[in-house]
Amino acid sequence: MADIYTQEWYEEVKNAINNKVAGMKKLPEGTWQIAIEIVGDGVSPYVLQGQERHFLASIDQGTCLWYKEIDDDTEEQDQKIKLDYRFRGNASKFDEIAAGIMDPIDAALGGEIKVKGDMRFLLRQADQVQALLEAYSNDVSTDWPKGKPPY
Amino acid sequence: MSKVYEYDAVVIGAGHNGLCLAAYLGRAGLKTVIVERRHEEGGGVNTEEPVLPGFRHNLHAQYMEFFDVMPMIQDFKLEDLGLRTIMPEAQAGITFKDGRPPIVIHRPDLLEMTHKSIARYSRQDADMYVELKKRAMSIETLLAVNLYTPPVESGTVDQGEMTEAFFGDLGVTKNFVMKSPKAVIDELFETSELRALLYRATVEWGFPVDTACTGAAFLTFIMWTMGNWKLAKGGTHSLAKAMTQACYANGVDLLESSPVEKILLEGKRAVGVQLKDNTIIKANKLVASNADLKQTLLKMVGEENLSDTWRKRSKAFRYGPSHVLGTLAYCLYEAPDYKSAKHDPDINKCFYTMVGFEDEHDTIAYIRDAYDDRLPKPAAGTWVNSLWDSTQAPANRHSATGWYFLPKAGALSQQEWDEVRRSYNAEFYKVWGQYALNMTQANVIAEKIYTPDQMEKKNMMMEGDFSNGEFAPDQMGANRPFPEASQYRTEIEGLYLCGPSAYPGGGVHAACGTNAYKVISKDFDLLDSIVPSRGY
Amino acid sequence: MITQYDVIIIGAGHNGLTLGAYLARSGLSVVVLEARHEEGGGLSTEELTYPGFLHNVHANYHTFVDLAPPVSDLKIRDHGVQYVKPEVQMASIYPDNTALVIYDDIEKTAASFARFSQKDAETFLRLYKEAHGYVDLLLGTLMFEPPMSVKELTKALSVFKVGNRSQFLSVKLRKETINQFLDEHFENSKIKAHLAFHGAVCGYGNNIEGLAIGFPLLMGKINNWHLSIGGSHRLAHALWRDLANHGGVLITDARVDGIVVENKKAVGVKLQDGTELKANKCVVSTVSVEQTFLEFIDRKKSDDDLLEPEFVNKVQNEILHQSWSLFSVHLAMSQAPNYIASEFEPDVNKAWVVNLGYDSLEALNDDWDVIAKNGLPDPRPNVAVNSLYDPTDAPDGCYTGLIRQFAPYEIGSDGPAAWDEISGIYGQKCIDAWAKFAPNLAEDAILKWATYSPHDITVKLPNMVRGDWMMGQITLSNMLDQRPTSELGGYRTPIKDLYMAGSTQHPHGFITFGPAYNALSVIAEDLGIERWWREV
Ligand SMILES: Cc1cc2nc3c(=O)[nH]c(=O)nc-3n(C[C@H](O)[C@H](O)[C@H](O)COP(=O)(O)OP(=O)(O)OC[C@H]3O[C@@H](n4cnc5c(N)ncnc54)[C@H](O)[C@@H]3O)c2cc1C
Ligand SMILES: Cc1cc2nc3c(=O)[nH]c(=O)nc-3n(C[C@H](O)[C@H](O)[C@H](O)COP(=O)(O)OP(=O)(O)OC[C@H]3O[C@@H](n4cnc5c(N)ncnc54)[C@H](O)[C@@H]3O)c2cc1C
Repeated sequence: MADIYTQEWYEEVKNAINNKVAGMKKLPEGTWQIAIEIVGDGVSPYVLQGQERHFLASIDQGTCLWYKEIDDDTEEQDQKIKLDYRFRGNASKFDEIAAGIMDPIDAALGGEIKVKGDMRFLLRQADQVQALLEAYSNDVSTDWPKGKPPY
Repeated sequence: MSKVYEYDAVVIGAGHNGLCLAAYLGRAGLKTVIVERRHEEGGGVNTEEPVLPGFRHNLHAQYMEFFDVMPMIQDFKLEDLGLRTIMPEAQAGITFKDGRPPIVIHRPDLLEMTHKSIARYSRQDADMYVELKKRAMSIETLLAVNLYTPPVESGTVDQGEMTEAFFGDLGVTKNFVMKSPKAVIDELFETSELRALLYRATVEWGFPVDTACTGAAFLTFIMWTMGNWKLAKGGTHSLAKAMTQACYANGVDLLESSPVEKILLEGKRAVGVQLKDNTIIKANKLVASNADLKQTLLKMVGEENLSDTWRKRSKAFRYGPSHVLGTLAYCLYEAPDYKSAKHDPDINKCFYTMVGFEDEHDTIAYIRDAYDDRLPKPAAGTWVNSLWDSTQAPANRHSATGWYFLPKAGALSQQEWDEVRRSYNAEFYKVWGQYALNMTQANVIAEKIYTPDQMEKKNMMMEGDFSNGEFAPDQMGANRPFPEASQYRTEIEGLYLCGPSAYPGGGVHAACGTNAYKVISKDFDLLDSIVPSRGY
Repeated sequence: MITQYDVIIIGAGHNGLTLGAYLARSGLSVVVLEARHEEGGGLSTEELTYPGFLHNVHANYHTFVDLAPPVSDLKIRDHGVQYVKPEVQMASIYPDNTALVIYDDIEKTAASFARFSQKDAETFLRLYKEAHGYVDLLLGTLMFEPPMSVKELTKALSVFKVGNRSQFLSVKLRKETINQFLDEHFENSKIKAHLAFHGAVCGYGNNIEGLAIGFPLLMGKINNWHLSIGGSHRLAHALWRDLANHGGVLITDARVDGIVVENKKAVGVKLQDGTELKANKCVVSTVSVEQTFLEFIDRKKSDDDLLEPEFVNKVQNEILHQSWSLFSVHLAMSQAPNYIASEFEPDVNKAWVVNLGYDSLEALNDDWDVIAKNGLPDPRPNVAVNSLYDPTDAPDGCYTGLIRQFAPYEIGSDGPAAWDEISGIYGQKCIDAWAKFAPNLAEDAILKWATYSPHDITVKLPNMVRGDWMMGQITLSNMLDQRPTSELGGYRTPIKDLYMAGSTQHPHGFITFGPAYNALSVIAEDLGIERWWREV
């Protein structure tokens, strides 16, 4: 068990994803660089209103190679990272997904989590993507020191 | 909240002169914007499909007589930006109802054909025409220098001496400069048919045929440009397109649908413009106006900001009546086949064909009607561009366009102009059928007429005046628009004129823009980007 | 004229210009060749009635503003384009003079629906909100990426169990018509008629099987209609300016009539006037499939197996064209319409667009039947008065009006040319139909009007084959990677270095920028151009 959005928690997410991938017959193709931007919305106690937390992840054939928090966009730009996808949304929504009470596909379809990047790739590998999302929202056990959604 | 922009230079009006000036300013490194009230660039350099899709008509300028000398074309390689030209062999012609021989003026490289055509009526006139034309062409560079240099004051004495020096051996004397073009033509040529053609041509290029002291222009201007006409392939508007593209390539911005209402002043200095929607465009260095004189000074600057002299002179400036045209636009199945073609088929392939003028009396009466605010009986100069440029009409169809001389816009009431729009083409068309038998109702798919009152509304060519200011001795040369304003500068610091109310006046030569740039480049120490090798 | 470029693009519609601007910004030398004297294709604004009245001859409604990436990538707004999103977007007025209004504000819209059916109002709001949510996600995927196949899409939809998540979106929609969708979800016949008509105006026929699949997305952007101040042509200027700012060149009056193929590769083009231009890297056509493969490619001269006979046969016989076209009347007006229905709903007088007369799906279906038999339905047009929101498109105190009526390309058995005879009569009928709802128009509110028929469309823009404003029908079999044929669905063609990037391609016609933007991805991949534009 790790506190949400801590380094340990991300380790758990990473492991959950990688465990899932280890059991998959067909691996997701390609290397993806992903940014996740969690926007404080005054609801979630984990990212304060007016603040944002940005994370970068690198996924190769479904396996998460690394995961890290960055201070702000300049770091992303400094490192000249070419992103493939960017997920951005309110912290409370991300919290709800992590807590398993909001379906990530619903969040994306409903426009609560904005996705930028070539969706065709995700759609073509719907099975694999679905598995990764399940790992994220169901296979990680999370501690909520400041309270758990629904808030 | 109104928007505010900031530039070094603001050019009011995207007519070809405005475009020309802006391109040079952009190239000299000034952050420049052109502000145009219409949705389209080009002003009188216009081509549309006003009647039916696929039939193009040049609603204003048609004859491109300055392409060989216009500096901008070479300086900005307008050919690479899409400007292409066509120069038909047979240039100007007059045709007759009874089918007697036409007179056809050919290109300068085909003078023997011109000679042959005139000689059907008079060998002496043919000789004279050819000699005058050769003489005018031999001084082309000088004439071009004159055009592309801000005007210098020259008394009639100097002009007379020059004229005699160039044309003296052909019987031209000093006093020719005091004559009217008509008097000059009458003295030099005897054939009534040729006189008719030359009167009309003179008026076409802006010189009031009856006005004393403009006669020299017949020699140095009409004889120079006569038969040198080119057609911008695709329509005259191709020139505006290429010029605009030169502007874009040099970083100049163009704002369409943005009428300027006010020139903003700080003391006696122009510092920007204000648009109708209250947008403000600041000009750190200068404002130049391609719009007409009265609008620029009396309205945009405001009478209250002018000195007594400038206010009086601006108010006294005259538009029309000597050069007001109406444009006819016909969509045809067949191009006209003239009775006169049996003597010389070239009349059917003539770049410009005069229809409805039988002799000199006819023609002069017609011209005087228009000058005196009367509606003349319909007669026209016509052209069929699709004969040379198949893209100007759908396959197997032709677009014919032409000009009437009409009274100035203010001479008729709105109802009278409505009536002209309803019926004048139909009247002309009956005349046309007498000259070309195939010009029957069945040959016309559709037609339209574009009248001087509409020209005023569309382009702010006041009164429909071709030149936005009458050509008369007191409004020509260094007197244009008035002596104090002849160097493109105004009494408002940083405000320049670059439209045809300034020297040399109307016509697609871009000389107003070019010369304004010359003056501005001195005032602001800009790069002299006009290629000097041509000598002007 | 420069005769060698990296990339040659045929056609300067918004797609050709957009692609050209991206490639010029990527450092390639680019020329865009346009047959007409004006750039813009469907983005044309002309003074068809009187000077100062700006009529959008084709595209009037810009429905992808801020959804299409080029609007920001090419800095369209910095180039002078100003969009307004009218607060009263559109209305339907029914024969009983009741009216329904679509506002920019969707809650107000629902309130207007509720006057007809509370239940439908709620359904609409749910549909809108749901669709609006995924407009962001799916529009990018479905329109601004090279297409996936229907199979791939339906599989993804079922894996992600979209059917369970959505009330409206499901895999079965690919077998349904919009009518069926509406009958399933809505109860009020007037509301259904309004929504179906809206679909048809967007090119989605309400009785065509499978089009229900796109309908929720259409609903999600139902209030995203924008008006370009100063006319739609302004967007063409902006795109051109961006192209030229970055060293690209537009050449107007350059009709392509051949693509030069060597060793099965496209290496250049030939213009109608004989000029040949070489392309170092590729040639891109944005015009019709028919022109490109039947006219531009000299199949006799080139290698026998250059094009498979099966492919040629498809191009000759199987390209699907929109089965209805548009008849337009453009009006210069001295008054805005004052609708009888304003008693029921005052806001109709402020509506930018008004749909007149359809109160049931049956009524709409009946007219499709009439049109399918090449008949002229009694006009039930949609009309727009841009001047209500654009102060620059008419002289002060006047209004520019537009009537659009669905109509066949051919009339009876007389073919398309019959339009030339009947346009005036049908135009008057359309005006009468409008005046029935707004009686003030029957008096002297209309100063002048001009018609523009389905036949005129094809004469003006030959790429719109058979008056096909969508450049290929919107049907399930002509969508995504099957549009316009399986061989061409990915923007590449059977000829190497020849690409298709016009509205014949996915997604479809309209001012979407989609075809160009997607072809760009493919061309960039083939030419190894680094993508600066797809910022994730
Ligand atoms: C019927 C006709 C036929 C002609 N035929 C020929 C010919 O064959 N050959 C030839 O050489 N010449 C011909 N001319 C003359 C020629 O067309 C004009 O002299 C020439 O186009 C003038 O160019 P310009 O750029 O100086 O001004 P214009 O073309 O008049 O342009 C001025 C521009 O300023 C704009 N403007 C005005 N006020 C404002 C404002 N307040 N704010 C913003 N913009 C403003 C106008 O809209 C216009 O676009 C003809 C003219 C007419 C009327
Ligand atoms: C009456 C009407 C109303 C419409 N209303 C709307 C609307 O409100 N909203 C909307 O979004 N859309 C509307 N459309 C549709 C829209 O105009 C088109 O779908 C869109 O313009 C297509 O863009 P394009 O760039 O693919 O092609 P086009 O705009 O057609 O451009 C193609 C260009 O190629 C040129 N060309 C053709 N052949 C050649 C050749 N051989 N050589 C060189 N050039 C050639 C053409 O002249 C044209 O300029 C309307 C269309 C019509 C006809």
